[in-house]
Amino acid sequence: MKLSDAWMIFVFLALTMYIILDGYDLGIGVLTLLDRDDSRRRAMYEQVSWTWDGNESWLVLLALALWSGLPLVTGVALPALYIPLILMLWSLIARGVALELIDQHKGWHRFWGPVFGIGSLLAGFCQGVAFGALVAGFNTHGTSFVGGPFTFLHHGYAILTGLTAVALYVVAGCAFVYLKSDGETRRRAARTGRITVLVLAAGTAASWLLASPAGLVVLHPGETARLPVWIVGAVVLGGGLLVASRSFSVDPDAHRSVRAPGLSTLAVYAGGLLLAGGLLYPSLIPPDITVHAAASPHTTLLFLMIGVGACIPIILTYQAYAYWVFRGKSTVKQEATT
Amino acid sequence: MSHTTLLDLSRWQWALTAAFHITFPAVTVGTSVFLIVCYGMYMRTDDEVWLRMFRFWRRIFAIGFTLGVVSGIVLTFEFGLNWGPYAHDVGPIVGVMIAMEVVMAFFLEAGFLGLLVYGEGRIGKRMMLFSTCMVTLGTTLSVTWILVANSWMQTPAGYKVVNGQFQPVNWIHVIFNPSFGIRMIHMLVAVLIAAAWFIGGISAWFFVKGRHLPMARRGLSIALGSLAVVLPLQGWIGDSVVGYVAKYKTPQFEAQEGNWKPNTGYNIFLIPNQAGPSNIWQVSLPWFGSAISQDFSGHTAIPPLSLTPKALRPQILTTFYGFRVMWFAWLLMLAVAMVGVILRLRGRLYNTGWFHKLLIVMVPTGFLAIWGGWVLAETGRQPWLVYGKLLTAAAVSPLKTWPVVISLVAFVLFYIALLDTYIWYVARAVREGPDDGPLVDPSLQPEPRARLAPAS
Repeated sequence: MKLSDAWMIFVFLALTMYIILDGYDLGIGVLTLLDRDDSRRRAMYEQVSWTWDGNESWLVLLALALWSGLPLVTGVALPALYIPLILMLWSLIARGVALELIDQHKGWHRFWGPVFGIGSLLAGFCQGVAFGALVAGFNTHGTSFVGGPFTFLHHGYAILTGLTAVALYVVAGCAFVYLKSDGETRRRAARTGRITVLVLAAGTAASWLLASPAGLVVLHPGETARLPVWIVGAVVLGGGLLVASRSFSVDPDAHRSVRAPGLSTLAVYAGGLLLAGGLLYPSLIPPDITVHAAASPHTTLLFLMIGVGACIPIILTYQAYAYWVFRGKSTVKQEATT
Repeated sequence: MSHTTLLDLSRWQWALTAAFHITFPAVTVGTSVFLIVCYGMYMRTDDEVWLRMFRFWRRIFAIGFTLGVVSGIVLTFEFGLNWGPYAHDVGPIVGVMIAMEVVMAFFLEAGFLGLLVYGEGRIGKRMMLFSTCMVTLGTTLSVTWILVANSWMQTPAGYKVVNGQFQPVNWIHVIFNPSFGIRMIHMLVAVLIAAAWFIGGISAWFFVKGRHLPMARRGLSIALGSLAVVLPLQGWIGDSVVGYVAKYKTPQFEAQEGNWKPNTGYNIFLIPNQAGPSNIWQVSLPWFGSAISQDFSGHTAIPPLSLTPKALRPQILTTFYGFRVMWFAWLLMLAVAMVGVILRLRGRLYNTGWFHKLLIVMVPTGFLAIWGGWVLAETGRQPWLVYGKLLTAAAVSPLKTWPVVISLVAFVLFYIALLDTYIWYVARAVREGPDDGPLVDPSLQPEPRARLAPAS
């Protein structure tokens, strides 16, 4: 295994942590758009208010893991994804600021609440668009991409993956709210979760089936080594979707596990990542750019493995500590000043 | 033509988004240190005023911090969005420095910010102080790594170029490149200064309004006390920075002094003519030009920009005025801080109304100095992106012009709105002032606390 392959573990870790952590938090943002009740919305804002910037750190780490370890990917992909990424950035700023302002002053939510919700929706959508565009690939010449401002759409394929990402994040948001709240808030999350899982299943299936015709990914018939990864990925993904659709319980008295939707959503993430990885690897931007072609020199990767590698366990420790401090149901907020 | 437009637009977008971003770290680094002082003093003395101060400034800190985080994420992506070839060429070096910033600093700040802002009642006092310290450590490390990356671009070292890509050869030389140490200290002290004027100005406003005096008194005292120490220090540090510029970036030194002919005088005002061979108008103090080169006999001339080939000349307008804004702001700040010292020695610091009003006006000066300094450093490096090695014009993403026009315009509007919201928010928080009600300390106090006498 080359050092560049090992570095992909960090890239994958950052991607996984980001979509899991910010996924539910963006999903909750979308859920606030669907609920007209102020107190329930406020409960949802509070569930993400202390954690969103920590979650977004993983997005920044993902961007930096690519830039430092695989600079060619950044050099090609970011200009190619200019429009969706700029939109994503504005959405993330707007929602972050909105959340902070909602939290700081009661009564400001009338304006900032919808900003938070729409920002969350658009950010998730743009991330799905960017992902679909990368899977479909870009033509390159030397160290830059060849194409126009809208090449990323790939005849609408990126729109499909964008919508799928929103559905995924909404399911994750529902699962989180389901776990962390009770009463009507939980019931509503369960109802939304059940419907959205179906949308997600349809979106995932369509994204997978259209991945090849949409763009430049070529599924070589001889590559049987990928088959086990695909089968495992598909089973985990399908199983996750199935369990998720059945475990959101609208009946508060039913003695079902409150964790089941969350855990099955994690399975959906794991299956989806396996499928995507199995589809692409070692390609990163089809057709030309592979992990090995894009990687930084050995000295850089070694420095990164040691430097970043030493910090990750520490980061995970204090993030886990923060989650532990803020554990428990969040419907009753502890006021710092009374 | 189209390429020039694209280059200019991309540069403007970077300049504006970076200037917007830097404003918030400039407040939060110093404010976080102040928060440590407040909470540490509260733990030592059990005096409630410190706790009220901590909570009040924490609120202002949190919103600034949020804006710093989100505008910082923008910069992270812009490296690749607008400067794709740059991202490819310097990724193995600059990318790594920024990655270290993320794992050592950014995560640390974000991880402990939640505890700092929302943790009261859930964590003990020691943990609260620890969280505050970790946030401060994070902000300081952040400044450090960003300055490593930027200084490497000013004075690249420890690398080789392979197929147009900068690759590290010696990490020690990369990190401790010739300009890193002094520039990092310069920036750290600069953000402390900016935050001190910010805290001092808001405290002075309370004096003017005659509200929350115990809190205002401590804020004013700490802010002005720190300024009296660090401003003279910054003068000396800044002089050392000019020393590195004159040595490593001679064209910038020539441009920032704005001469076309050798001059033993010192320009304090000019209307430049970038094409040469002389400025349209130039006001020069005799002798001082020689004096800044430490020749007090008046014979050493400042080198003129005509020594640098035309294509490699930085802009006089931006470098000259970037430097003058910073330098005159420093002189003004030093003078006001010294007046503060005199008033304090005479025991009149807390009852001199005109001085309090002056302090309110002084709030933007620290930021002006920082903006001026960065405009100088960044435009003084032009036409290079990595000094002497990679031209800015060769590093811009091959985008269509219109998406960049739209994003630039939208960023401007968006950031104006955010800045408005921020100023309005801080103004509102200040008007509301600290919580004067009965103080409930949720940090598990064994006994109910005595009420604080309402201030003023």
